[in-house]
Amino acid sequence: MKRSLRFIAFVAVLGIVAAACGGNGSTSSSSTDTGSSSADLSGGTLKMAMLADVTAAFDPQKEYYSVTWEYYRCCLLRTLMSYKGVPTAEGGAEIFPDLAASEPEVSADGLTWTFTLKQGVNYGDPFGDVSVTAGDFIRALERTADPAANTGGYSFYYSVIKGFDDYAGGKADTISGLSAPDDSTLVIELTEPTGDLGYRFAMATTAPIPPSGDAKYGAAEGHDRNYGRFLVATGPYQFQGAADLDFTGPAKDQTPVAGYVPGRSIVLERNPQWDAATDDLRPAYPDAIEVTIGGDNNDLYNQVSSGDIDFVVDGAVPPNKIKEYTTDPDLQNRLNVYPSDAVRYVSFNLAVPPFDDVHVRKAINWALDKQGFRQVRGGETTGQIAGHIWVNSLENNLLSDYNPYATPNDSGDQQQAMDEMKQSKYDKNGDGVCDDPACENILTITDREDPYPDQAAILKDNLSPLGITLDVKELERGTMYNKCNDANSQHAMCAGPAWGKDYADGYTFGGPLFDSSGLWESCCNYSLLGATADQLSGWGYDVTSVPTVDAKVDECSAAQGDARFQCWADLDKQLMEEVVPWVPYLFDNSVDILSPNVTNYSFDQFAGLAAFDHMAVTGG
Amino acid sequence: MGRYLVRRVLFLVLVLFIVSLLTFLIFVKLPAGDPARRAVGRSTTPQQIEAARVAFGLDKPLYVQYGRFARGLVPIPGWFLDEKVYYSYANFVSVKEELFRRLPVTITLAVGAAFIWLAMGIPIGIISAVKRGSFWDRAGMLFALVGVSMPVFWLGQLLLYAFWFKLRWAPKSGLEINATIWESIAQGKFILPWITLAFTSAAFYARMVRGNLIETMGDDYIRTARAKGLSERRVIYKHGLRGALTPVVTMLGLDIGALLGGAFITETLFAMPGIGQWAVQAIATNDFPIVMGVTIVGALFIAAANLVVDVTYAFLDPRVRYT
Repeated sequence: MKRSLRFIAFVAVLGIVAAACGGNGSTSSSSTDTGSSSADLSGGTLKMAMLADVTAAFDPQKEYYSVTWEYYRCCLLRTLMSYKGVPTAEGGAEIFPDLAASEPEVSADGLTWTFTLKQGVNYGDPFGDVSVTAGDFIRALERTADPAANTGGYSFYYSVIKGFDDYAGGKADTISGLSAPDDSTLVIELTEPTGDLGYRFAMATTAPIPPSGDAKYGAAEGHDRNYGRFLVATGPYQFQGAADLDFTGPAKDQTPVAGYVPGRSIVLERNPQWDAATDDLRPAYPDAIEVTIGGDNNDLYNQVSSGDIDFVVDGAVPPNKIKEYTTDPDLQNRLNVYPSDAVRYVSFNLAVPPFDDVHVRKAINWALDKQGFRQVRGGETTGQIAGHIWVNSLENNLLSDYNPYATPNDSGDQQQAMDEMKQSKYDKNGDGVCDDPACENILTITDREDPYPDQAAILKDNLSPLGITLDVKELERGTMYNKCNDANSQHAMCAGPAWGKDYADGYTFGGPLFDSSGLWESCCNYSLLGATADQLSGWGYDVTSVPTVDAKVDECSAAQGDARFQCWADLDKQLMEEVVPWVPYLFDNSVDILSPNVTNYSFDQFAGLAAFDHMAVTGG
Repeated sequence: MGRYLVRRVLFLVLVLFIVSLLTFLIFVKLPAGDPARRAVGRSTTPQQIEAARVAFGLDKPLYVQYGRFARGLVPIPGWFLDEKVYYSYANFVSVKEELFRRLPVTITLAVGAAFIWLAMGIPIGIISAVKRGSFWDRAGMLFALVGVSMPVFWLGQLLLYAFWFKLRWAPKSGLEINATIWESIAQGKFILPWITLAFTSAAFYARMVRGNLIETMGDDYIRTARAKGLSERRVIYKHGLRGALTPVVTMLGLDIGALLGGAFITETLFAMPGIGQWAVQAIATNDFPIVMGVTIVGALFIAAANLVVDVTYAFLDPRVRYT
């Protein structure tokens, strides 16, 4: 999940896309596949619906939203590296050369990466006669660094490129670490070894932008706020009417593409320049993709059942539909459940007593009824009980059976919890019950939407025998995330957050969640790990020190291959057993139901959504 | 008349000023409502947040910030909903462009619903009043009771489920991509939203017409009309109804004005891309320029409708004078 603090948007994703999440052992089906050949599957119009629009009108330098990322990956934008649009078991978490001709060459010190481009890849309309060159990637990265154009994006992933921050700060006219010795070669120099750089170049903000006259940002010139509505495609699809785009006049006089009406509709048509021979990642089955924006969740899923639309992109399948599709043999092959690579958790603020004491934090890990939490979310289909922090795919399943606080039926163990509490300084008489005022009316922030109030009630019940009482504040989702993130808010616990990967690497958990670089005003180190004494004092805390794992995060960031997986797993264990900043309780599932028209389906592990290019429909 | 109009227009400006100021203050006082933070996403530096703050003009004193927005409310070309200020903090789309694109849907919804509720409410009210105590009166008032008791969101879902999902008599929610308003009307896309919106109001208007008509029919001038030998039909429709409908006109103006500001629930429920649906999305994401634009346009519609009603009132009721 993208925690873009375009909070609302991000949160909408988590709350909606991942809402259905759940776990191993839940009802699951593999791809819906008729066994037809690719030629048989091609054609037709895939009809989808979205409850809400994308977050930044398709501007690739701004969109930090998994739904938009799927549109880019499947359809609109090719990148140097990309994904196949399949589940983890089929290689969906791996990246493959896309616009790159092969894997990048990495220097021995890990500081220089060289990509060689495929030949003969052209842009979509109206740049059909223009080939993609190395300079087009530099253009995209410069726009990624430009504060005028990157609002809400994820430019921080590219700060490791030499000169990137200088360009962003206006201290340089170019990014010194990027060069194109010829049209087919892109050389990237880094300030530090970055094992996951390939993944970062599978993200849409790095997708090439075509040149347009002498304009610095090419086709995006003058469109700081709205390039998405003038987007030039490289993928198998483009916005309907892209051929009518005219970049010759001043940007303010240009007419946006007809195929995307913000808040209303998206229509994708085939990109006439796309050549399947250069693209072995995207089957691109439907001839066209039509998406309506807006509506009521229940009504849209009724439209799926009736076949009026084929799929809801960002909805949460209603519990009655899940039950219907789980139990009816005729419908079961139209239900798809996959781990969405997101974790739900309760976080502790380690600067607020009594959570400055690790035994209190451990006691709550023992006490929490995770089964109850899952039950109020909708049961087993919604996800797998979490025993640790990183989702298993990011650790290559090294900790898939690991749970240091395992309890019978995952329902919590009050005796273990009280035994842990006895070791706390807040249990002075050693009876397993906190007897310090710090345990009373602990400020706990949560989401006001279902099922979080019910979860908060369970949490209260679980902690009461430990002598802990909660002052629960239920807030609008975006506000909740802002409050959890704000170190000045003095909250003690956040009971409603969730987190998903940006790409298939452990750094997307370790960096923002536990490194000091994720502290306020950045995001989203709610536990304040790594905060200095001065920072804590400045935020108004009496506690003067909190644990840090910065060194371990740095170590893992530099590691590669299996060592990298092991490093993140080690950090996961360290956090669960020594630091204990969270109670992770659920690894989310993505739950989809499909219309009777859909003849092929695949889950894209990268975006945590259906892979639109793999969806085939009758009439094709 | 002229002085009256000038005074009312000035009052309208005052109302809009107060509404805009309140909207602005509520926005800046909202908890965690810093749009710069929301916009920058997972920024790594306070400098980036500050850059966004500057870009949005949020680094300026409050009165300057308000002034920028207030200027955009003045109906002068180049000022009104100025795109430099009035653009979505979420997707950067111009508020003016989006407003005018959505307005036809909202107008169609409001006008069509009003037509239906008048066509239902007035006859039911008249029949109930004229046949007071009869089966028809009781049936009419039962309809009114049910109507005013039924929440719009529930009724809308019920109608969709029954008449689209189960019976397939009505089309599914939402407008077809690229369909014009007229095509959408022809496809029947507005029928269920119209009925949903109209039902509660029809019930309310039926009760109001019944009550007013019963009261009016007891007035002296009605007795005089009867004494002059006019037929009962003429007494009711020529004299009684005119007096009874005057308050209806007042209510109608205000109701339509309010609906033009957006039928929030109905538009959202039926995936109607109107102003109400847009406002709901903007409020959820704390997208202030949209909230401000929609609020002011909604207030403008209500205030203008109020003015029109007051002006026309005198034509309907000779006792009313412009003072």
